[in-house]
Amino acid sequence: MKGTQLGEFEEVVLLSIASLWDDAYSVAVLEVLNKRLARPMSLGAVHRTMQRLEEKRLVSSRFGEASAERGGRRKRLFTVTMAGEQALRETRRVRNELWDNISETAFGN
Amino acid sequence: MKRETNSPPRWAERLIENMAAPHLREEILGDLFELFQKRSMRLGELPAQWLYVLDVILLIHPRLWRKNATAARLTQHSTDFSKPNPIVMLNNYIKVAFRKLNRQKSYTLINTISLSLGIACAILIFTLVRYHLSFEDFHADKDRIYRIYSELHGEKISYSTGVPNPLGQAFRAEHDVAQKVGRIAFLPKRVVSLNPQKKFEEDIAFADADFFDIFNFPLIEGDSRSVLREPNTALITKQTARKYFGNTAAVGQLLRIDDSLMVRVTGVLRDLPPNTDFHSQIFVPFVNLQDHSPWMVEKDWWMSVNKEMQCFVRLKPGVTAASVNKAVLPAISSTHYDKEMAKYFRFKLQPLSDVHFNMDLRGKVDKKNLQTFGWIGFFLVLTACVNFVNLATAQAVGRSREIGVRKALGSREGSLFWQFMIETAIIATGALVIAAGLAHLALPFVNRLFEINLSINPFQDKTLPVFLGILLIVVIFCSGAYPGLILARFQPVAALKGKLTLQTPGMFSVRRGLVIGQFAISQLLIIGTLVITSQLRYSQQADMGFQKEAVVILPIPDNQQTKIKTLGTELSRLSGIDNVTFFDTPPASDAIGSTNIQFDMRPEPEKFSISIKAADDQYVPMFKIPLIAGRNLFISDTIREYLLNETAVKALGLKTSDDALGKPATINGRRGTIVGVVKDFHFRSLRLAIEPLCLTTHSEVYNSCALKINLSYMATTIDQMKAEWTNIYPSSIFTYQFMDEDIERFYKLDNMLLRLIQAFAAVAIFVGCLGLYGLVSFMANQKTKEIGVRKVLGANTSDILWLFGKEFIRLLLIAFMLAAPLALWIMSRWLNDFAYHIVPGPGVFALALMTTFSVASITVAFRSVKASMINPIMTLRTE
Repeated sequence: MKGTQLGEFEEVVLLSIASLWDDAYSVAVLEVLNKRLARPMSLGAVHRTMQRLEEKRLVSSRFGEASAERGGRRKRLFTVTMAGEQALRETRRVRNELWDNISETAFGN
Repeated sequence: MKRETNSPPRWAERLIENMAAPHLREEILGDLFELFQKRSMRLGELPAQWLYVLDVILLIHPRLWRKNATAARLTQHSTDFSKPNPIVMLNNYIKVAFRKLNRQKSYTLINTISLSLGIACAILIFTLVRYHLSFEDFHADKDRIYRIYSELHGEKISYSTGVPNPLGQAFRAEHDVAQKVGRIAFLPKRVVSLNPQKKFEEDIAFADADFFDIFNFPLIEGDSRSVLREPNTALITKQTARKYFGNTAAVGQLLRIDDSLMVRVTGVLRDLPPNTDFHSQIFVPFVNLQDHSPWMVEKDWWMSVNKEMQCFVRLKPGVTAASVNKAVLPAISSTHYDKEMAKYFRFKLQPLSDVHFNMDLRGKVDKKNLQTFGWIGFFLVLTACVNFVNLATAQAVGRSREIGVRKALGSREGSLFWQFMIETAIIATGALVIAAGLAHLALPFVNRLFEINLSINPFQDKTLPVFLGILLIVVIFCSGAYPGLILARFQPVAALKGKLTLQTPGMFSVRRGLVIGQFAISQLLIIGTLVITSQLRYSQQADMGFQKEAVVILPIPDNQQTKIKTLGTELSRLSGIDNVTFFDTPPASDAIGSTNIQFDMRPEPEKFSISIKAADDQYVPMFKIPLIAGRNLFISDTIREYLLNETAVKALGLKTSDDALGKPATINGRRGTIVGVVKDFHFRSLRLAIEPLCLTTHSEVYNSCALKINLSYMATTIDQMKAEWTNIYPSSIFTYQFMDEDIERFYKLDNMLLRLIQAFAAVAIFVGCLGLYGLVSFMANQKTKEIGVRKVLGANTSDILWLFGKEFIRLLLIAFMLAAPLALWIMSRWLNDFAYHIVPGPGVFALALMTTFSVASITVAFRSVKASMINPIMTLRTE
């Protein structure tokens, strides 16, 4: 099924959105990711991913309040949808199953 | 506070503003701004700006400007099924169009012919108009070039292209507004000789060196800095150089101008372009005018204006013509004239672009005429389009089944419309190609008529392809849009059943209107042709008030009295010559100046100005100008006596002509006695009213002589005249003119206008008839059954003819109602240019109506007779 497959970056962005809960917008997501992943990334990349997620209906968006620190512009706030939650859980389940099947000696060191 | 001063780079913000899709714009800008604020707090402003730009660059990606993806997907879905592939359909449209055009050959032929005739006329008119508009447009800084002209404020204002000789110098020396001031004196038809055998008649100009700084007439040989700075030098054009010297170098050669001037060629000019009003082939320094024609440059002579003594200036940048007209030129008037005369002599600037068009100042073409041509061209194209619309709407019914099938298979109105437009485009493009060919063929005739040298060359003239492109698009839309809409709106069910007829009220009334319009245009042009023809005939055959037949005019190259005397006696001895007279201007001539008059003991000069003709005692008897009081002039070489015309007597406020006799008068500063009064005669063209005139003897200014010859021995007489004349003036070239031909030249422009309008009227009528023919054929096809039934019931041919005719007669009459008042208005405006003109009577209008009526009825009858002759069995059996 198209849309349920999450890419690696999509997954972390989606997770960040979920973790930010009520204040999930692009700059906030960018900051979370910068802190956690410790690798340089651009606003553009985050933006595009969030658009893609929305097209896949994994997140939904609404406009927030306008604020002075944004030069009087509104921010777009994202919320993870049911489908998004489903996708995250599914990914996690697959990962967990995979982890569970790894024997202690598998890494060979 | 700090926040206020910090701001992201404006250009990057703009970039995003322009690139981002609308639904993303606000959010992205906000994000970028927020990031910028945070970074500039942490890192400082400059790094923040760098990072801002970096972010902007990294944002560039199709997603930035792509439409809202969800929305886009939706529209794609809904159009997947119904939108035909336009490229594939185009193929089909073109194929169908060609088949259809091929099948209906007469329809195609009529449309193509009428469109190509209309377009050909439009192309010719465009080329002509553009040629005239391009005059003098190749000079650098042409917006700052002006000619100074004179306004002579007498009782009436008269205009002269010339200025007093010292004015140029005064303008240069006393005022600091001009970059360059160039005086130039034009002397037409001087004799230039290389040696006694090789003589040519040439227009010569005496010009200041500055003249060639003002105007862009480049040298191809010689030193451009020294041109015309030394006396006794000359510049000649390339073509003159070739004519005179063949392939040998022209520079350094000597030329003799008339008998008075020797000049050395120091430069060769590139041939003057066709779109300039400067025609002189030889340019000589202005200072040499003193040697050649001292009378033109009498020192500081401010009191007379010669139209050939002109002055061109290029103003400094930033100086406006209005300011010069308001301050500088009146200042010159008031410095150099006394108070009275400063009121009389006023000078103005005429923009260079106006020189070709200002008819008061000897312009060549009236802009009004160009406008008329423009309108005619427009109307001709319009008639052709009207034909197309009429025929196409009529034909539309014939293809209703095709439309029905197409609609049933899912064609939309839009695609049907475009299909029809493609058909129109094919016809129109074909017509355009034919029209270009026609225009090319007709060009030599137009060139000969106007004595110009036009060419249609789309590679040289960039505006022509643009014009053709626009014309094509306009024609396609004018002719295709309405029938296309009609076609596209057919109801599929009715169309499939073939139940459409033209009797739908809306459709038919539009076509009726179009036919009316067409008739009206034709009638307008016919009335115009008739009025112009009769006015010109009137002008040329009108009694001018003097005898003009069998009079030959010879020029007199110089006015050495002894030579003139000898010529007079020798010529009058010839057997075929009845009479000889010497004078400065013939009885009718446009080249006549006017001056002031002080009559009798009156203290002030009169308010009106008077024209003056110098002529010997034979003038009045020879031209049979009737004397109504007093006697003719006595023989004299100087000004002693004056003859006045009736208008002058009236203008002086005298009751009878006898009151003027014996009174002294000072005219142009010379005193004389009035000895007689002549009957008014037209001493200029009939465009101008007769004004005060005086005749006097003044042999110094005689420059022509007229001979009354016996027409039966004309050839031998002219040979003898030539022999005598060349004997006396060996260094000049013998030319002669017949007086009546000379007078016809007044109306040369009008004659050209007439020819063109005649041609256009013919085209308009022809195109109209083609359309009419097509329409009637179509009606006949539609009505075959009706005609059959009528015939079976006993109608004869004339009844059937009436069936077709009555409709058209009604339309014709309505068209006439529209055309007649419009034509009357336009033509009376044209006639008002003539002081003496005809009044267009009802005859003209009746004739126009009759012409269109007969042409239309022949066309209609031609087709409908055929329709009415068919045996009804043939038509009724088709069921």
